[in-house]
Amino acid sequence: MTALMQPGFWVFILTMSGIYGIFTLGLQIQYGVGGILNFGHVGMMALSSYTMAILIISHGINFWIAAAIGVAVAALGGALLGLTTLRLRRDYFAIASIAFSEIVRYVIYNSDGLTGGVQGSLAIPVTGENYPSYTDTWDSIINRARDILTPIFGEIVDRDFVMAIIVWTTLGILLLIVSRVERTSWARVLRATREDDEVPAALGKNVFRFRFQAVIIGSVIGGIAGIFWGLQSSLLSPDDFLTLVTFYGWMILILAGATKVKGLPIAAIFFGFLYGGSRFFTFWPFSMLDASERAYVRIMIIGIVLIILMMSRPQGIFGKRQEMVLE
Amino acid sequence: MNNLILEVNDVAVSFGGVRAVNGATLDVEVGSVTSVIGPNGAGKTTLFNLISGAIRPDSGTILFEGLEIQNLFPHKIADRGIIRTFQGAKVIKRLSVLDNLMLGGQNNPGDSLVNFFNPKARKAYEVQCHDRAMELLQQIGLERFAHEYAGILSGGQRKLLDLARALMANPILLLLDEPFAGINPTLVEKLLEVLHALRTKHNLTFLLIEHNLETVMNISDRVIVMAEGRVIADGKPNSIYENQAVIDAYLGTRKAFK
Ligand SMILES: Nc1ncnc2c1ncn2[C@@H]1O[C@H](COP(=O)(O)OP(=O)(O)O)[C@@H](O)[C@H]1O
Ligand SMILES: [Mg+2]
Repeated sequence: MTALMQPGFWVFILTMSGIYGIFTLGLQIQYGVGGILNFGHVGMMALSSYTMAILIISHGINFWIAAAIGVAVAALGGALLGLTTLRLRRDYFAIASIAFSEIVRYVIYNSDGLTGGVQGSLAIPVTGENYPSYTDTWDSIINRARDILTPIFGEIVDRDFVMAIIVWTTLGILLLIVSRVERTSWARVLRATREDDEVPAALGKNVFRFRFQAVIIGSVIGGIAGIFWGLQSSLLSPDDFLTLVTFYGWMILILAGATKVKGLPIAAIFFGFLYGGSRFFTFWPFSMLDASERAYVRIMIIGIVLIILMMSRPQGIFGKRQEMVLE
Repeated sequence: MNNLILEVNDVAVSFGGVRAVNGATLDVEVGSVTSVIGPNGAGKTTLFNLISGAIRPDSGTILFEGLEIQNLFPHKIADRGIIRTFQGAKVIKRLSVLDNLMLGGQNNPGDSLVNFFNPKARKAYEVQCHDRAMELLQQIGLERFAHEYAGILSGGQRKLLDLARALMANPILLLLDEPFAGINPTLVEKLLEVLHALRTKHNLTFLLIEHNLETVMNISDRVIVMAEGRVIADGKPNSIYENQAVIDAYLGTRKAFK
């Protein structure tokens, strides 16, 4: 139980919550506004983080440029997904999107010469000079930030602390931008397409364009989450990008209430603490299970909490009930 | 060019085995009120779906202002100025009544993401759009519902909203699918006034489907009768009563109408 008492552990949880929060924000604009069921969102995170790592390790490209290209590649992934499958019916799109992220993962898995394959980012081939890690530049930025922050906050400031601040600042800025976007008439049209294609089309709105743009925006945001994911773990493996991660995003979204962004940070923290904290369910009755069994119990508990929440508040913590149940 | 705003030439479409529209030919004069009547299943709504681009014809052409439109996407057709309402009315239930109306605004700069960075242009349009929407809401007597979800409206109220939303889009040709069914007579009178005012002010053209023959005879310059996917009669309202084919297919014995 001692790790629970250490602030460092909770700061780490906060950072992960923030990254999941950014990740989920991408889903929010797609589903909460556009009704688009994207179950392949984790693919965007895989694309951006791997692109960044490969560009830095194999080509020695500047970190900022590599990160920007990483996000751009995630956007391209969204464009590809959108162009090929967005004209499908909603449920078929959902299935196709899972296939998309699984394809991304398998390609990463099987492209040893490019991605390091099963061995992960450690095996990404180094050309020319020795770039053992893609986080070098980032680490020096973090160190500098730590030097600035330590006099203010004291000893608590470590790598994770700085990371938490950067991640949450980013999430805050993105929330602000997205909530503004969601007050434009663009979002009004997207909201209409959530329910019906014919009406907006009959009023001159190109339904496909609005959906496509929503997928791209969501993919960019997912790509940004991927960059932080890569920097936080400092080591990538194809198994970081299982569909399960997408479903964690969906859990947060449903907890928050999909139609509004304001519940998202709290839902992300709630999820993070449940996820991270349940690791310490070592007391009875959980003590009867061994460690690997307890990992499943954790997911079960998250599921049960989610079911209870959905039964009592289908609109999530902050959503409007009417917007969920009106027929 | 002539004074025909819409020309439908030998258009046909089938769903599986059903020839819903089976070689329909008709035209609509600029500024006129043209009514389409006919028994249920005659293909009237399908004709509207074809004109508005919701479905594509298997054969035939549709010309709007002299240009072919039968292969255009519905939103492109709407851009040209053909706006339709839906039989039984369609509203976006989880948008407010006001938002439903504002959805009808055309060339809204805020619909383009690039203009996210041009809030001035967006807001100027929104203000103007909002005022126009409130004005229309007043005309249809729904202003007290402006900020409610459209999903709480009754069937009749939804039809009013659907109609008002079409008007928001500044149509040139308005396709109305049974607009007055289920709306109380006093309100129908009021709506006819609104539509008449619009017609004289903006030279709007109406093509409408309507079952109430009294209304049809009163408001139409011309009546088109459809049966089994074809146009079986077409002419001034009075002449329709005399037409034997129409009597057989739709009116039944003339006596019933006296
Ligand atoms: N989408 C569709 N799929 C299959 N059949 C259809 C479809 N739309 C219309 N129909 C059929 O076409 C015929 C004409 O329908 P419709 O145009 O709605 O008639 P009306 O509006 O004149 O009552 C009917 O037999 C109807 O069942
Ligand atoms: Mg009909």
